[in-house]
Amino acid sequence: MGDFFPKLAELFTTPEYIDALLHGFLLTLEISFFAVVIGFLLGLIIALIETGKSKWLAPLRFVCHIYVTIIRGTPMALQLFIMFFVIFAIRDFPQVVTAILAFAFNSAAYSSEIIRGGILSVDAGQTEAGLALGLSPLTVFHKIVFPQAIKNIIPALGNEVITVFKETAIVSMVGMYDLNMAAKDIGSGQNMASYVVPMFTAALFYLAVVYLITFVIKRVEKRMRRSDARA
Amino acid sequence: MPERKVADTRDVISVRGLKKSFGDNKVLNGIDFDLFEGEKVVVLGPSGSGKSTFLRCINRLEEPTSGTISFEDTVIDDKNIQEMRQKIGMVFQHFNLINNLTVMENLTLAPVKLRKFSQDAAEEKARKLLRHIGLTSKADAYPASLSGGQKQRVAIIRALMMEPEVLLFDEPTSALDPESIGDVLSLIHEVVDKGMTTMIVTHEMNFAREIASRIVFIDNGKIVEEGTPTQFFSHPKTPRVKEFLDKVL
Repeated sequence: MGDFFPKLAELFTTPEYIDALLHGFLLTLEISFFAVVIGFLLGLIIALIETGKSKWLAPLRFVCHIYVTIIRGTPMALQLFIMFFVIFAIRDFPQVVTAILAFAFNSAAYSSEIIRGGILSVDAGQTEAGLALGLSPLTVFHKIVFPQAIKNIIPALGNEVITVFKETAIVSMVGMYDLNMAAKDIGSGQNMASYVVPMFTAALFYLAVVYLITFVIKRVEKRMRRSDARA
Repeated sequence: MPERKVADTRDVISVRGLKKSFGDNKVLNGIDFDLFEGEKVVVLGPSGSGKSTFLRCINRLEEPTSGTISFEDTVIDDKNIQEMRQKIGMVFQHFNLINNLTVMENLTLAPVKLRKFSQDAAEEKARKLLRHIGLTSKADAYPASLSGGQKQRVAIIRALMMEPEVLLFDEPTSALDPESIGDVLSLIHEVVDKGMTTMIVTHEMNFAREIASRIVFIDNGKIVEEGTPTQFFSHPKTPRVKEFLDKVL
């Protein structure tokens, strides 16, 4: 550990290392961002199917149930392998897309349960009030149920975003050059020959982003709690 | 059962052979009923008799198991229900103001969305009604900051915003503290006195006697007796109603 500061200086003065770190960091952000957005949208669709009352939704509901069961019942790392080496084992298919989809499909299962819980947490009287005024079920969902559901699940959704963001580190297992992989590469024998500095640096990057996400979530939550405050 | 035949009075809601079960639990066992224009029908009965379910079947918040319900000669079904609900207002036991919307938004959402009024016209109408119930200052407040009585009065004017032809009240004072009940009842009184065709499910016997043009008594999912308040309270015909009145009065 005696050479900590020299190594730190080396890391931040060698353009290749900085480049590698930033490159990895951007890939981590890219995969996380798209996975979270797509995962949320898919999760919303699954939650709508599962909470829907219509009879013709029954077969779809069954499919969703199987999907959520499988995704939640198997390891993320295995799902990533299956996506890479089975489903998208196509020559020249962009790796980043495969990775995004793998995490999006995984996140959708968890998000759907969170969103479903949120929808069920909204009092039935809220829906009835909207319907009794003659509003369409779509308007009732959009203007009444969804905003209240989201407010109730913001903390849980925040958790899910953080989980996905950190979980993307396993793409290094399929050889992708994300932040985690960059740290390992920089620290390897051909380069700095010391893992301490690059790995703690990567850890700080992860930590900073998680802190930022937490901060944003708290702000959003506070804004959404406006309607709870006594005027 | 509809023994009343009032000449030149429009039949607003007619119910024929209405049955409703929740699983094995038969709540309504064949109800025939007509609501004529300008009538103020109070529905009484012991708890669990099916009064609220009856009311909720009319605007299809509960889907009838069998039987038909018509609004001005049009049978209400899944296709026309949204249009029908715009003409059949409802006030709930638990107020059901929309929590994520301000009082003003609660009042204007449906009329604007359903193109009954422009945003400006709806807000003007809402302000007028709010002033009338003395809650102008609460226009931009969220429901969480209102008392129960205030919530229910806002819920009543929210129903009025749509200018319905019938107003259904489902135990409008059952969730209120004694002090607020008076305010809410006098607002209902006022609305009814203006000629609104009304059905009220309530446990307030004095209010029922005062306001009803007809009282309908339901027990075990059937209409057991109906008549004017005087007939009903002073000369009940059936032993079941006599027994009920002995207990509640």
